[in-house]
Amino acid sequence: MTNSTNNIEAVDTIIENSQVTPLLRDEIDQYQVAYEIQKGDIHTTLSLLKNAGWIQLSYLSAIDWPEENKMELIYILFNWEQPVYVQIRSKIDRRKPEVPSIIQIFPGAKYYEREAHEFFGIDFPGNPDFDKQLILENWDDIPPLRKDFDPSSYSKKKFPSRTYPDQFSKKDPDNKTREKQTEREKRANKLRTGGGKR
Amino acid sequence: MLSTKYTKKDVVKTKTDRKWWEIGDYFRRNSLWMLMYCTGCCAIELPPAMTAAYDMERLGMGPMATPRQADILLVSGYLSPKTLRRLVYTYEQMSEPRYVVALGSCPINGGIYHDSHVVINQLDQYVPVDVYVGGCMPNPESLLNGFVDLMEGIKNKTADGWKRYHEHYEWYKENQKHSLGELIIHDEFHE
Amino acid sequence: MTGILVGIGVAFFGFVLQTSVSGVNRKIVGRLQKRHGPRWYQEFLDIFKLLSKRSVSHGWIFDFGVIMALGGIIATAMFMPITTSIVAFEGYDNFFIYVYLLAIGMLGMAMSASGSGNPWASIGVMRALTTMLAYEVPFLIVALTIINLTDASSLTEIMLYQQAAGHQWFLIALPLGGIVGVLALMGMLGKKPFETFIAPAEIASGPMVEYGGKQLGMLMILHEITAFIEVSLFVHLFLGGASSIPEYLLKYFAVYTVVNLISNVNGRFKIDQVVVFFYKWPLLMSVAQAIIAIYFGWVI
Repeated sequence: MTNSTNNIEAVDTIIENSQVTPLLRDEIDQYQVAYEIQKGDIHTTLSLLKNAGWIQLSYLSAIDWPEENKMELIYILFNWEQPVYVQIRSKIDRRKPEVPSIIQIFPGAKYYEREAHEFFGIDFPGNPDFDKQLILENWDDIPPLRKDFDPSSYSKKKFPSRTYPDQFSKKDPDNKTREKQTEREKRANKLRTGGGKR
Repeated sequence: MLSTKYTKKDVVKTKTDRKWWEIGDYFRRNSLWMLMYCTGCCAIELPPAMTAAYDMERLGMGPMATPRQADILLVSGYLSPKTLRRLVYTYEQMSEPRYVVALGSCPINGGIYHDSHVVINQLDQYVPVDVYVGGCMPNPESLLNGFVDLMEGIKNKTADGWKRYHEHYEWYKENQKHSLGELIIHDEFHE
Repeated sequence: MTGILVGIGVAFFGFVLQTSVSGVNRKIVGRLQKRHGPRWYQEFLDIFKLLSKRSVSHGWIFDFGVIMALGGIIATAMFMPITTSIVAFEGYDNFFIYVYLLAIGMLGMAMSASGSGNPWASIGVMRALTTMLAYEVPFLIVALTIINLTDASSLTEIMLYQQAAGHQWFLIALPLGGIVGVLALMGMLGKKPFETFIAPAEIASGPMVEYGGKQLGMLMILHEITAFIEVSLFVHLFLGGASSIPEYLLKYFAVYTVVNLISNVNGRFKIDQVVVFFYKWPLLMSVAQAIIAIYFGWVI
């Protein structure tokens, strides 16, 4: 059983021996490490890690930073022999987000890229159908997981909620509430015991 | 693919028809077949209601596999617009008379997802609902109570959602169009 | 003329009997599972509820197939003898009439199911015909053994042969054949584990997927009368028929209940497993039984 700090050191040696210079390195806990790299180095890093054994792409998604005007793409890779989650992050421009597709390296990223396009608006040239709809149908607003999308105003506009009158509890003029309650209890009891008495 | 063979029909008019419909009401309320459209979390309350503890079969009800054979469409939980399009197709394919029972508080006013951008807030505007069973989620006993309410509604002729759908057809279609866009399904399997 | 009236009476009696017995069986299974089952007349309520709904039609062949199937099955049921004395048409209760006429019901249902245009229906019909292919061969071998032993193929003659002194019921006289008969009966009725052609959650009820309302009610009546014919056939061939109506009712009820109880503890086979099952041991047992009974003459 290899020690997991050795695994993280293995990842470090792979990254240092290549031409990629990471901007940030963060060791999150015993089994996770995150690197932030430039946008142009994504393909080289992913190919290197895949050849070294990180063959599973666990997740591909994005985070929206509207103040810095950037979107951060995240790729999470996993190795089954030396278990370490490696997060590869890179920041791209928010006004026109575009990242070359990675389906030559990980063919399963096809659907992740469709989802990222639908929810964030990121384009992936190289993926033949990245703009086909996957989850949302007939969507007519900005991509919903961006931070400047307001779900409750969209919901009020499209799906009107129920209006309750001010006095919606009807006061009982004959005061038969008690009788109605006992009758409902009797019926519930009958259903619970199948007709016999408790 | 539009919903097949749906035509607006005139409902029961004459008096002799009424007598036959009363006898039919006895049969209809004592053997209801449900199509369990398990959309959301409330569907987990259905297996206890069907199995040995709160037996549903002694009331005559049972699960059915297809919408054409079923009487009740059981909507359990929240509905996204994607599901609602398919639900309206399903509702229009059932044979009449048909009833809709809504479980949980999500079809009543949106429930805990009321300000989400993909959950509709009132089921009543798109499909006529006969019985609501409130709760989040309701007990199997409340579920059975709701079904007995439906049976009494059939006896007193107040459970007439299907007639309302015929009479106010344009209003329902208008609401569906406002919230859902269009009712034709565009996805990889239908084209 | 009296024959036709008696025949219609027999068909009606069979329908009422089978519907009540199936309702009582649902209650028995419910009690077995520690709950109250439905009422004993629940099946009647189901059928009449279905007949009172407005239905959707898919064209004239859809409606016509169901009517043809129902008419054919009622005509078949009219020939069935109930006891040795109540026979609608004397001399016409041959075993082979049933083998031929049972196919009309299946054919009618297949015609109307394919007229509905749903792919689930075609899959279900294909599976039903494959199941029929599987159980017919061992069953016919055993039936031909019985006919050879009694030198007659009329059901009344077979009944009288078994009731004569010195002869046992064929369930005991031909034990291997009796087991094959029970298995073939389960295949004919469509009980688990041979329920492949209905398969409620798998192919959405198979051939019955597009039926609703009145056509489904007629299909249920068809199913009940078919079950009556098949169980009666088993009772007359293997259990010695009956000489009075209470004895017939007792034997009918016992057979149906035992088959239902066996089927309730089993899962469902796939269609290739059904065919392989019927062509392995039941075929061997029926051929062995035929050789034992006819060539060696060892009848118990």
